[in-house]
Amino acid sequence: MSGHARRVAASLAVAALGLGALAGVGLPAFYESFLYLIFSWIALATSWAILSGYAGYFSFGHGAFFGAGMYTTATLAAVFGVPFLWTLLAAGAVAAALAAGVGAVIFRVKRLRGELFGLLTLAITFVLATIVLNTPIDGGPGVYLSGVPMPRLLASPTGTLYLLGLVLAVATVAAAHTIAHSRLGRGLYAIHDDEDVAEVEGVPTLRYKLVAFTVSAGIAGVAGGIHAMYVSYVTVGETFAITVPLYVVLMSVLGGARHWLGPAVGAVVIASSLYAFTGGQHAVLGRAVVALALILVILFLPEGVVPTVLRHWRSRARRSETAVAVRDPAAAVSAPSLVPADPLVCHDVWKAFGGIQALRGVSLSVAPGEILGLVGPNGSGKTTLINVISGHYAADRGRVALGSTSLTGRPAHEIAGRGMSRTYQIPRPFGHFTARENVALAATFGAARCSPGEARQEAQGWLEFTGLGSRATAFPHELNLHERKFLELARALAARPRVILLDEVLSGLNPSEITSAIGLIRAIHARGVAILFVEHLIRAVLELSDRVIVLNEGEVIASGSPQEVMRSDQVIEVYLGKPHVVA
Amino acid sequence: MGGLGGARSPPSWLVPSATLLGQSVVSGLLAGGLYGLLALGLSLSWGLLRLVNLTHFALALLGAYLTYQLGHVLHVSPWLAAAAIVPAFFVLGVGLHAVFAYFRVAEFASLLVTFGLAVILESVIQWFWTADYRRYETAYSTASLRLGPLFVPTLELLACLTAAALAFATWAWLRWSYVGKALRASAEDPAIAAAFGVNHRAQAFLLSGVSAAYAGIAGVYIALIATLAPSQIWAWLGVVFAVVIIGGLANPIGALLAGFLIGVSESLTMALVTPAWAPLVSFSILIVILVLRPGRV
Amino acid sequence: MLVRLLTLGTHGALAGLVLFALAGAALAAPSGPPIRIGGTLALTGPLAPTALLHKIAGEIYVEELNRGNGLLGRPVEWVLLDDQSKPDVTRSLYEKLITVDKVDLIIGPYATSGILAGMGVAQRYQKLYVHHSFGMPHLAKYEMHFPTAAFGPEPQRTMPTTVFEALAATTNPPKTIAIVTSKFPSAQYQSNGAREVAEKRGLKVVLYLEYEFGTRDWGSLAARVKDANPDVVWIGALGLDGNQMLEAMKKLDYTPPRHFHLFPAPGPLALAPDGKQALSVTVFEEHPPFTSNPGAAKLIPLFRERATKANVPYPYIETQVAGSLAAWQVLEAAVTATKSLDDKTLGQWLRKNRVDTIIGKLRFDGPNNYGDDLFKVKQVQDGKWVIVWPRESAAPGARLLPP
Repeated sequence: MSGHARRVAASLAVAALGLGALAGVGLPAFYESFLYLIFSWIALATSWAILSGYAGYFSFGHGAFFGAGMYTTATLAAVFGVPFLWTLLAAGAVAAALAAGVGAVIFRVKRLRGELFGLLTLAITFVLATIVLNTPIDGGPGVYLSGVPMPRLLASPTGTLYLLGLVLAVATVAAAHTIAHSRLGRGLYAIHDDEDVAEVEGVPTLRYKLVAFTVSAGIAGVAGGIHAMYVSYVTVGETFAITVPLYVVLMSVLGGARHWLGPAVGAVVIASSLYAFTGGQHAVLGRAVVALALILVILFLPEGVVPTVLRHWRSRARRSETAVAVRDPAAAVSAPSLVPADPLVCHDVWKAFGGIQALRGVSLSVAPGEILGLVGPNGSGKTTLINVISGHYAADRGRVALGSTSLTGRPAHEIAGRGMSRTYQIPRPFGHFTARENVALAATFGAARCSPGEARQEAQGWLEFTGLGSRATAFPHELNLHERKFLELARALAARPRVILLDEVLSGLNPSEITSAIGLIRAIHARGVAILFVEHLIRAVLELSDRVIVLNEGEVIASGSPQEVMRSDQVIEVYLGKPHVVA
Repeated sequence: MGGLGGARSPPSWLVPSATLLGQSVVSGLLAGGLYGLLALGLSLSWGLLRLVNLTHFALALLGAYLTYQLGHVLHVSPWLAAAAIVPAFFVLGVGLHAVFAYFRVAEFASLLVTFGLAVILESVIQWFWTADYRRYETAYSTASLRLGPLFVPTLELLACLTAAALAFATWAWLRWSYVGKALRASAEDPAIAAAFGVNHRAQAFLLSGVSAAYAGIAGVYIALIATLAPSQIWAWLGVVFAVVIIGGLANPIGALLAGFLIGVSESLTMALVTPAWAPLVSFSILIVILVLRPGRV
Repeated sequence: MLVRLLTLGTHGALAGLVLFALAGAALAAPSGPPIRIGGTLALTGPLAPTALLHKIAGEIYVEELNRGNGLLGRPVEWVLLDDQSKPDVTRSLYEKLITVDKVDLIIGPYATSGILAGMGVAQRYQKLYVHHSFGMPHLAKYEMHFPTAAFGPEPQRTMPTTVFEALAATTNPPKTIAIVTSKFPSAQYQSNGAREVAEKRGLKVVLYLEYEFGTRDWGSLAARVKDANPDVVWIGALGLDGNQMLEAMKKLDYTPPRHFHLFPAPGPLALAPDGKQALSVTVFEEHPPFTSNPGAAKLIPLFRERATKANVPYPYIETQVAGSLAAWQVLEAAVTATKSLDDKTLGQWLRKNRVDTIIGKLRFDGPNNYGDDLFKVKQVQDGKWVIVWPRESAAPGARLLPP
């Protein structure tokens, strides 16, 4: 956590304590209930953002968890006489369980992202609302809580609710802050930018999404439980209205959905504005004015209030940034990678896509510390093979193993954890991460498993190694193609892999860049890392490879030393065609 | 608090008459047609312009109120009203997009902006027409065609046919016209499309205008079929969003079919069991389709 | 002695009202610091259509008070806030009115959920809580609440009884009934009661359906009703559900012989072509004998004028508006009789006295402070609501028209 963030967190803690003290003093009840509503929205919006803002899975179902919490408390307290505070635990648990169940099904299906996820979560809200409306949970008449005794935490009921709301809001913002700065947070942000790449870099995407969703829902459930006591008469129509799911999105977008404090700021702005014009003569006009203000804010601050403000502060602070202590790149280079490396073995791998057989029984092996070149015409299956080895696709048949560890069928993040790294032909860096953060992510989640603090230093070291040390704080869109390719390499290396899969790393580079890239690959090789590299540039293949394998239409047609393979008739025929005119 | 005796609907083993079943299918199809009509513009702008346009609903209701005003107060026939509303709304749509283009509004920021605009429109509507209910009665409000034992309400049928016609026309336009192809190309890869000479800006304005015009047309039918109150803007949100997404973004025929699917599943539920279960059935079907069917959008 | 004084007080209040109605202009204008009466209404949101009527009612009443002698000689100010149809906002705003704005008295908002939300607040601060649109009497447990929606303590029993008695008294009483109700709490509650009462009275329930509020497609419901072919349809509707249902049935070329609507938006149903001979319940309509109730003569034209100016399609006082006016009258009566603004005093007075209002004599000494069920059966005849049962309350010469 940077010093700046520490300062912000400290000032917020002070503010929270101050607000808490206020309750003890005893404000007029209206301020307590007005502030309670603001706290409630802070908790709802911030909890929503934990999954939807950080990981980008926009959920329109936050109302379902809120409602589940409301009805859990209402039922337990009013019907079964459970003390109110215990019902809050149950409310959070029920909502969390609901999310876990839903997530376990939905998150496994790759195509259910983006709008489909939003729709599914919205649908779940309607389904839950209908079930509650038609079963004895509510059945129609609503649940009446006036008879439920309010715990006397403070002198007045409004004060108690205020305190509960405050505690929840503070806890939620603290949780958001903690998550945002933790490995979980890094992983979620990576998922947001490019989920498949994140998985391949070692982020356990399914687990992280589930955790984020469950935490988010649990908080909403507790907020719902408290709210049930606030309104004291719970009906389906009010509870499952479109208000909660819609407003949490608006609040987070306004404040900045990616930032831990953004949704809270948005919640304060929007929730207060609900009261700004409740005067009877101005009600209609007031709403229009508030809406106009919101529009203006988001038009001029498109990333949200908090990120825009922070960017202004940071751009002033950037100039005075201290140099990051770097682990000696030479040491990094010469340090042995991991415990004795094992060969990478593919045995009889088959993969088809619909009617297209991309790989037909491909078998190969890469010895520890070897450079294996993989060549073949376009469409021969080279990238598919890399995708299968790294776990992006599962092979239909066959085995992939690293030494004695089988990699077949494992999720990509586990394969990454075993020491596999890859680069992409068209670089896929995480767009919202700086160069250093990109590399640090791999260091955190790859086989190296660094702590967040170490990872930063590691990352700087690898950037120096690839010549990008001075570009550490640049964003990918500010880098040119060559730099982005080297960023891919740095990222792949930071995971301390045993095997690196390079997918056409030289394509698109000019001759001098190619020379420096080849030098870099040699340097990597010198560390003892095995390399499987796909390349079209024959010169590079000949210079670098220890052995070469030729793929054509999914089959291995030649294997051996570079010179042998390049002179083989079959290979020449595949590339250039059969000679009809004998020279 | 469970009410006296609880809800006991007629036992479901009581087989409903074929007429009842047939009538509900008709009813569901027609309701679905209106959903599809509303979904059309939204689907286009979301799919092709990457803008989630909540203002669409407010525009539809504004169109409805204008139809009411022209018809009920100034005694202009709804078809003439439509002739005035459609071009006016096209211009409104173009203007709306000017704002988006100028500020380069991203997808989820557009949600906030269009929400704000929808609230402003709602306030404008309430300012002029008050919050009280308005109903545009016409001579043919309750007319229907007979198809054997079944009744097909005329106005709803017209709305449904218009929806189908517009869906097909839009599909054909997107598929075969230059503009349509250009729009689809831009949506898929703006940089490459631009390299091929696609003027995305102009196309986007055109599409935004068309979208808004569709909202206006939907509004004319809403005025004829439903009763108006300012808060009705939000009544259609959930179901139309579902229709848009099931149908697939920027898929006009898909929107129409999805509308039918939801309409019929709701109305069959209402015909066969306790009507209050209807949303459960339609949304459960939705969930099952999305989770199980492979290769969906 | 006390009783006589209190009775005198009631009569005094009544006399005062009449005097003020007759000689308003001659009296001195109210002076001094205003008496502030706070309340909220759903000025925006889904409940706004009907809340608008309550707003107009309150405005004309307060203006009329101020044209006369105000309350206790002081001008009256209505501090009205918009609760946006949301109970949580309602609760918070009542807290604002009481603890921040420090109003002298409060008056309830529109509709059951909002009233309940406000009731909790009123209870905490022991404020007098007069309200006009509460539909679930068994939930109102605060001892200082006073309802002018005169349902009586058991509306689920008494209201259907009144309705069925009215139907039974016609020449061709119905033998079968279909009940189609919204799942809105108060509607469902009373429609459930209707089913029990019907069964007890030997009226065969051929169909009982509950639909969720927010239903958009009425075709299937209409088809089921037509299929069941009842003699009378009881529509547990709020707002416009009844209209939509009738239209949907008309499109199937079916008009139920008799149809009853529970809580319809009064204007649209009366004005709709399909609303012919629709039945509902009411506590007031603009015809004798109700036009001679306290305040009616003055308030009817005032409301007509203001509502017309506000473009309200049906600018006549009916049950919603009358209930609202009665609430103001109850407040005024209590304050004037006790010469006090102290909530406890007012509450005690109200529990022991009857107030004669535009909807009749109200008493609050029954269970949960409910008195008599004052609801009568009304019917749409020639585009207006006309009370048809019981006979002594019916408009002169009016009767329940058979199908």
